[in-house]
Amino acid sequence: MMRERREAAAAAAEEEEAEEAAEDEEDDDDEGEEEEGARGALGKSAEELRTEDVYDISYALGRELQALGGDPARRARLQFQLVRVLELLEALVSGGSRAAEQLRLERDSLRRELGALRGQPARHQLSLGPDKMVIDLTDPNRPRFTLRELEDVLQERNQLKAQLHVVQEELQCYKRVHKESKKEVLENIPSISVRK
Amino acid sequence: MHLVPPVSRDRVISHFPKWYTPEACLQFKDHFQAQVRSACHQRNTGTVGLKISKVVVVGDLFVGKTSLINRFCKDIFDRDYKATIGVDFEIERFEIAGVPYNLQIWDTAGQEKFKCIASAYYRGAEVIVTVFDLADIQTLDHTKQWLEDALRENEPGSSFIFLVGTKKDLVSGAACERTERDAIRFASEMQAEYWSVSAKTGENVKEFFSRVAALAFERSMLKELEKSNGRMAQIGAGNLIKLEGNSLDAPESNSQASLSCC
Repeated sequence: MMRERREAAAAAAEEEEAEEAAEDEEDDDDEGEEEEGARGALGKSAEELRTEDVYDISYALGRELQALGGDPARRARLQFQLVRVLELLEALVSGGSRAAEQLRLERDSLRRELGALRGQPARHQLSLGPDKMVIDLTDPNRPRFTLRELEDVLQERNQLKAQLHVVQEELQCYKRVHKESKKEVLENIPSISVRK
Repeated sequence: MHLVPPVSRDRVISHFPKWYTPEACLQFKDHFQAQVRSACHQRNTGTVGLKISKVVVVGDLFVGKTSLINRFCKDIFDRDYKATIGVDFEIERFEIAGVPYNLQIWDTAGQEKFKCIASAYYRGAEVIVTVFDLADIQTLDHTKQWLEDALRENEPGSSFIFLVGTKKDLVSGAACERTERDAIRFASEMQAEYWSVSAKTGENVKEFFSRVAALAFERSMLKELEKSNGRMAQIGAGNLIKLEGNSLDAPESNSQASLSCC
């Protein structure tokens, strides 16, 4: 691809030279566009660079090489070296963008998967069965005791309450008896003193 | 048997307490049946064992079952709501027609999660009190289910049924009347006696429980008389027994009918 492109660029430069006068105006537009593409491409950072940018740079360098003049043998060597460097650059850029594209696809599919998992939290609980409950073991107020234990405690409480009821009644009786015997003692005191 | 102090004066019942509304009441008589009266008179000396009846109070949560019981048994009203856990009970002592008599009042939890615990205490209830909130008509709708659950644990026809609307202080005249009309219709369908009460003001609370106690007492006396009657027939002749038997052989003609009226 790069070689084709480079050849095309060289051919274009030669053609230009030959038909310089005839197609001056027409080429000016085309040339301006390509020059601009190369300038833009050269201004980009390594991460931003695309294979199209490498072709633009290649085209611009080809033109510069044609315009250089001097020893044709040295020009040809330089051209060969440039083509080699551009081929390596092309390989790096297209490899990098392929890897980036793959990572992007992978990221998007992971995002979709995450969204789907977040959107269906019920599915996770359903897998427990319809009559199951999830207990947060870190909750200090979580359910802990069994029905049997509560029943036992209630029964014990009720027995104690019944006993308390009996004891309270008996206490009331003893209090009354105590009060009455006290009264009797007090009433007996004057009769004793009278006898004396 | 343990020592028992005298019953407080406001727990002494000598006249049969009146109903709340004649449209939904269990019986119309205003006096104890003759054989019960005479039996009470003979046992006044205190040779008989203490009689006790079981009352079970059911209904939705937050209708005021505990408040109703606390107003009657402790004469208190707590504004704060505290859900009953499982079941609780109070024992209230009466003296009816000269005979000591206890009501064991079982207060059940209204929360659904405690139903399995509370329902174990429904058995052997002489009285079932279904309670609803006069200010929350839905709780009235649920009383039928509560009654059904309570009846399932008891012999058919063995329990007196009461329907009680609470929080009377919260509803105004017209709304109260409308709800009462609905409730009375419910009560007659449930074969229950209807009462409107307020635990907060105490309105009708003592009257209601006195009525419960008197009805339960009379029925338990009649049952006992029936039993001893049967025993005497087996034993056979004897002047003393015959004399007592005579008074038992002549019950008031309307006694059975009046028990099952409404």
